[in-house]
Amino acid sequence: MTNNLKVERAILNMTQADLAKKIGVSRQSINAMEKNKYVPSTVLALKIAKLFKKPVESIFFLEESD
Amino acid sequence: MIYLSKCKVFFTFDLSIINRTVMKTNYLLPHKYKTIGWILFILGIISGLFTVYSGYDYEPIRIKVFSIFNDAVFDKEADGFFKIIETGIASELSSIAIIIGGLVIGFTKEKVEDEFIYKLRKDSLVWAIIFNYVVLFFAIILIYDLAFFHVLVFNMFTPLLFFIIRFNFLKLKSNSHDE
Repeated sequence: MTNNLKVERAILNMTQADLAKKIGVSRQSINAMEKNKYVPSTVLALKIAKLFKKPVESIFFLEESD
Repeated sequence: MIYLSKCKVFFTFDLSIINRTVMKTNYLLPHKYKTIGWILFILGIISGLFTVYSGYDYEPIRIKVFSIFNDAVFDKEADGFFKIIETGIASELSSIAIIIGGLVIGFTKEKVEDEFIYKLRKDSLVWAIIFNYVVLFFAIILIYDLAFFHVLVFNMFTPLLFFIIRFNFLKLKSNSHDE
């Protein structure tokens, strides 16, 4: 699974730390997600989508290998 | 149309838990105990290594203890089940310090305890168990006789030790790769 967290973050002019604080996780978690090293749980994905006011599918995408 | 209906589902899906930070785990201690864990763990390792180095002869504290089974080398009178025996307890104290300290280090909450750190902890545990038994496998086929006694002693604590090292290594790694 991949995502465009970095882009969404840039649109709102947020740092990793800002986003982490808003959804209540560590900055490392956001960093790991942006590097595609961590697939978030459904709850976390929904929280992020809610924050960006976008559907989950426009932030997280399946890849060929999924 | 499909997309629209999905959107509807999304927007009606109310996440009332949005600001609840921590993962709900029932076996993790509060973060403040972590320092105590490290102190116990390190003191235990130092005194434990000292005990091993002395050939298990260094026994500053001798007390009477309750033993459920004893099989002494010299004192045949002390043999048997459920006896009060007198013994040195340096190695026992070290072992308890290492085990309690190690468990506390591994199973206290991080500053921000979220699902990612939870995954790192689980991955470290799996890694530590596999690594421990690979090491033990080679120790079994390469170390014999009385020397193997040391392997048995160290192997009581290596799963915890490998777990703590791996967990902290992964935490450091996830910390260092910044934006």
